[in-house]
Amino acid sequence: MNDEPRDPKSKEFSEWMGDQRRRLGIDRAVAAYTAAKEAALKRLPEMEEMRKEVRRIKEESISRMGELARQAMDSIADVKGTPYLAGDAAEARRIFCSIVGTGKLVVKSKSLTSEEIHLNGALEAAGNDVYETDLGEFIIQLRKEKPTHIINPSVHVPREEVAQTFSKLLGREVSSDIPSLVGVAREFLRDKFCKADVGITGANVVSAKTGTLFIIENEGNARFVSNAPPVHIAITGIEKVVPTLSDAFKVVQTLPPYATGVLISAYVSLVTGPSKTADIEKTIVYGAHGPKELHVVLLDNGRSEMAKDPILREALYCLRCGGCLYECPVYRIVGGSFGDNYFGGIGMVWSAFTRGDEAVAVAIDACTKCGRCKEVCPLEIDVPKMVERLKGKLVRKGHLSRKHAEIRENIERKGNPFGQSERRQ
Amino acid sequence: MMAMVGKILYWKGCMSRLKMKSIADSTEALLGLLGVDYDTLGGEEGCCGSVLLRTGQYDAARSLAILNADRISSLGYSELVTSCPGCFKTMSSEYPMIIGRAPFRVMHISQFLYGRRAAMEGCLHPIRARVVYHDPCHLGRHMGVYDEPRALIRMVPGADLVEFKYNRSKALCCGAGGGVRSAFPEIAVEVARGITGAPLREAGASIIITSCPFCNYNLKEAGGAEVIDLPEFLLRSWRGS
Repeated sequence: MNDEPRDPKSKEFSEWMGDQRRRLGIDRAVAAYTAAKEAALKRLPEMEEMRKEVRRIKEESISRMGELARQAMDSIADVKGTPYLAGDAAEARRIFCSIVGTGKLVVKSKSLTSEEIHLNGALEAAGNDVYETDLGEFIIQLRKEKPTHIINPSVHVPREEVAQTFSKLLGREVSSDIPSLVGVAREFLRDKFCKADVGITGANVVSAKTGTLFIIENEGNARFVSNAPPVHIAITGIEKVVPTLSDAFKVVQTLPPYATGVLISAYVSLVTGPSKTADIEKTIVYGAHGPKELHVVLLDNGRSEMAKDPILREALYCLRCGGCLYECPVYRIVGGSFGDNYFGGIGMVWSAFTRGDEAVAVAIDACTKCGRCKEVCPLEIDVPKMVERLKGKLVRKGHLSRKHAEIRENIERKGNPFGQSERRQ
Repeated sequence: MMAMVGKILYWKGCMSRLKMKSIADSTEALLGLLGVDYDTLGGEEGCCGSVLLRTGQYDAARSLAILNADRISSLGYSELVTSCPGCFKTMSSEYPMIIGRAPFRVMHISQFLYGRRAAMEGCLHPIRARVVYHDPCHLGRHMGVYDEPRALIRMVPGADLVEFKYNRSKALCCGAGGGVRSAFPEIAVEVARGITGAPLREAGASIIITSCPFCNYNLKEAGGAEVIDLPEFLLRSWRGS
């Protein structure tokens, strides 16, 4: 056990395991989350039926994913938005860079899909200033760290360290009192919201028939980002499109209790086209109080490939509540090192398809396939089955750990995984 | 090894056969006390293929499944009893998918003993201890066997069976499964500490009973608790020591 770590991922695992500060942060978050979720679900007996309905909606949507994406694009164009279909991450970055240009002030609300394509780096390289405005993302961005949870990206940073980070930002001492820390972010970012040239958001679900984007949040930053700047660009995966508004509302009702243990999030913004008015002579003018331009980037980046696999396509049903992570016994210990942008067992599938096999080749061996994630998933996504399937595919491509290869050799030679001789008995 | 039709094959599994021998020894002793007519394959048993399936080595697992099914069927066994939930899950639920038919009936030892529980009535001596049952993932969540082990533990006079806060389908994983113990032993043992630490203290039990040699091994590695396999516990009660 004192061996030198064999590869960067093993080293990352060891660092996480040994970091009591981050472990404590996650332990506290797990305890708070599980208690809140239990309480919320107790008050929502109807959720049992709702989540089954959402599963049916996602099954249908994914079986028609390409068609629904095209329908959503037509609907967005109908309301004078500009839709794009990006085949991969590079194409999506090019689309963003051509819309944003250079020398712009960009504000962002949390979007895992934007992280997937490494958007911030591309916009900064093109000469733009990019500010994350979700508090957790803002902290992570200032600290130049990687997010460690899909809903709560700074779950591993205790308040004392947030205070240090903010003190450095403002060049003055900042108290580690949590409400004061929130106040610092509010004050600092308010100015950015108002001055920004471009606002970038994700979308949790999209209704194909109306081209409506649903943006779910608690802080109110996504409202600012999608409303204050003259240009709003939204990015989301093609798997987020469902047929109708009422389908989308069912997703919206299912996500928050499982994501943060609330009955519904503080804000759900519905965006259907850019801001407009026809108050003067019934003549439509775009960009009244909200953005004049709305651009919607629908991202494929491996999703169509995922949909082709009869087992792994189930990963596309994921609503990204992140509940499985809090309930995962391995995530609790190795946290943000258990994946690459997408975490835990289902994150292995997502990381493999969106970032390549290398991203998960080692980390996948840390999944015990215990199935607790499936048990707590609102859509009962069979994660262990997918992880085994993915592992099989990786093995066929040559990604097999030395230990696991030895086990096979031992079984073949000696009839047991340990390589012990026993036939003389 | 000329098997009689209807005779039971006790499939020890690699862990009980080689690493945790007291599990296999206790199981055999208990089967003997119950007067069960059974065979083992001794050193010829081999591997069920579970670890290969869990680590993505499907082709090798498939060959083993075919080999084992043919070998066991040709010896005339139609009923297997396993100590290991991994063997149980693999042979009962995955072999039929791999080879296209169910070659034999497979039971986990907890199910088998539950079926023979009448023979234990009146034979069990008190064990005065607060005990907690750890649900192995492969037995509970994956195969739905939750009640038989608990019913057997409750047959032991004096044993006060308590529950972990997260039990049955929400039970915490011991961390050993899925090839993690071989790939990342330090992660496996740290996950186990997530059971032997606060959850065990909250349950207030002095003994963890489980029914999986992998869980048993890994929970022992984590330290801080007495860990005992279900047949070991029953045998201790039967013998009154």
